[in-house]
Amino acid sequence: MKKLLTTLLSAAMALSLVACGGQTSNGGTSTGGSADGSNSAPTKMTLLLRGGTYGESLQARLPAFEKEHNVDIEVQLLSFDDLHTGIALDAVNPTGTYDLCMVDGSWMAEFTSNGVLANLSDMGYSFDDDIIPATTSICKVDEDIYLAPYFGNVTVMMYNKQLIADAGYAPEDIDSFADIMDIAQKTRAADAGKNGFLLRGGSADNIVSDFLSHLLVHGGWVVDENNQPTVNTPEFKAAMEEYLELYRVGSTLDKDDIVASVSGGKTALAQIWPGWYVPTADGTANYTTIPTKLTDDSQAEDAVALQGVWCIGIPNNAPHKDLALELLKYVMSPEVQLASIEDGGVPCRYSCLTNETVLETYPHLKTVCGALETGVYRPAIAEWTEFTNILGTEMDNIIQGTKSLDNGLADAQAALEKLMAG
Amino acid sequence: MKHSTSNLKRTNPSAKRFAMCMVLPTLVVLLIMTAYPLLSTFIYSFTDYNYLKGADSAKFVLFENYTSLFENGYFRQATWNTILFTLLAVVLEMGFGLLIAVFVNSLGRGQKTMRTLILLPYLLPAVTVALSWRMLLSANYGIVNQALEALNLPVFNWFMDTKTAFGTILLIDVWQNVPFVFLLLYAALQAVPSGQYEAACIDGAGVFQKFWYVTIPNIKSSLALCALLRTIDTFRLFEKVNVLTGGGPAGTTSTITQFLYNYGIKSLDFGFGSAGAIVMTVFVLILSSLYIKRAIQ
Repeated sequence: MKKLLTTLLSAAMALSLVACGGQTSNGGTSTGGSADGSNSAPTKMTLLLRGGTYGESLQARLPAFEKEHNVDIEVQLLSFDDLHTGIALDAVNPTGTYDLCMVDGSWMAEFTSNGVLANLSDMGYSFDDDIIPATTSICKVDEDIYLAPYFGNVTVMMYNKQLIADAGYAPEDIDSFADIMDIAQKTRAADAGKNGFLLRGGSADNIVSDFLSHLLVHGGWVVDENNQPTVNTPEFKAAMEEYLELYRVGSTLDKDDIVASVSGGKTALAQIWPGWYVPTADGTANYTTIPTKLTDDSQAEDAVALQGVWCIGIPNNAPHKDLALELLKYVMSPEVQLASIEDGGVPCRYSCLTNETVLETYPHLKTVCGALETGVYRPAIAEWTEFTNILGTEMDNIIQGTKSLDNGLADAQAALEKLMAG
Repeated sequence: MKHSTSNLKRTNPSAKRFAMCMVLPTLVVLLIMTAYPLLSTFIYSFTDYNYLKGADSAKFVLFENYTSLFENGYFRQATWNTILFTLLAVVLEMGFGLLIAVFVNSLGRGQKTMRTLILLPYLLPAVTVALSWRMLLSANYGIVNQALEALNLPVFNWFMDTKTAFGTILLIDVWQNVPFVFLLLYAALQAVPSGQYEAACIDGAGVFQKFWYVTIPNIKSSLALCALLRTIDTFRLFEKVNVLTGGGPAGTTSTITQFLYNYGIKSLDFGFGSAGAIVMTVFVLILSSLYIKRAIQ
């Protein structure tokens, strides 16, 4: 009896181990479903997209493609960090899980230097003239295209209509950072319970991203032409001092609270991404482009708003690369991009953003178009994730008063130099 | 009985083989699920392994990761935060858990209802708890600030202010985990022989004396086990911090796990992350060694 039991247990264990090590045989580089709509089983595709409007606006356009190409598409919507990790973890497999993924421009250098993304130029993809040129700069390495700009995400200045009017401003009057400071200070002076300006907290990346426009308008940047850190400079200090001044007449909140606070009339101004808020004609809030001048008399900078365009790319190990390219071309087509606006999408195409019919319903897209034309990307360096962690933490220390401005920036510079030295 | 079993083992080789076969599946699972990952992590901690570059291109860097770790000011801050948080959380959870367990155990009626109600927070996933509290404590539309405002009391930016962020996360963690302590201690209290209380009464013991000289000695093993489990669990605190503050403001809520996530996992620097994981394991072993020693005895 014992021997029988032992044999049975051993067999069960061996079976379990074999089952655990098993592998399905649907890998390879199949080009996918039958385009003639025959009765064959649909090809299964998996997309890894950014959660929220960014991915949902793309997801909403998939049924037509599924029908036309006899494919069944599964979509995974993830947060910023999970998306980055998800793409990276799958990249080392010989055959990956994902056919198409959304990529933030700040990951571009890291992904292309490690062969994560397929070269779209080699696959026969090219940009047409309708796509806003500034949005494609992060998508290429030399002349090779690796990504296509899908969702026009660029920082804009959200304002409460009543509060800026109370401060004596019309939206079109906000054309310098001095105006922003003036509105913020007047709002706080008029009512100590209201915020003049809101900073976004919650992560180091948020802090750094929102600050970059302020740095640019002061003539600074976080790295030089050799990608060496430049955070302990007079320009950075001046920008930081101005930022601290804004913080004194405002507060730090997270994304949802920022939108609710401005639209609810508790805050005058805050930098946001268009995907967070869709203005309406009778709404309490709207947004405008971030000013490109420091003061009314100073010279305008070329680019100040931060580009956070959500691009789409094909992983190098995608299971159905050819079909994925078809899908990428489909979602990047002017017709599909135009249709995505109904689902909160923000195309990177002139034909969509200057369409008179669209602008009648979504006038804010004119602002977005202007911002996309003049936006600037985060530096394309492979170490950006660690870079932003260090810089954001030190900036947070300065903002919260746990370190002085000089000490915080000196510490950040030292840590970043060490990082970039490898 | 014990004597006869050991004799049987000594004299019967087939019984020995049978015993080995019974232990084997557990041993294999332990080797695959625990020993292998632990050993891999230990080896990787001496390399510059970056996940995207692959393990093949990883080079041995000896103690470089450990040196960087201990020289890193953010790691030192995260370690201090974790230790402080663990000590405060375990003490508070044990205190409140014991108090509630004694109270519920003393109830003549409604024990079952109370037990179910008290357990509810513990049944929720940590992320759900974090999101619920984020809404409650929102500086803009949260019900807590609205209530404070209505009472003309000062309102707070709970998660974004260095003065309140740590305490707020501590409060949420205690709120969620007190029921676990309560459950374990309540079960232990149920097993205390009522005769001992009766004897103590006859001897003229008061409420406090009965608690100190009868209750505590009877449940001390459960108390030790509870403290051990809560110490290990609290030391690994991650979800609440990651969802609510991301380690900020100014690193005041950063824990070791959050640090490892930011500087090891997010940047895919698994060599550095592995060194941090090994250090954390050692910390947990040190903190819980007293309890383990006591449990073994």
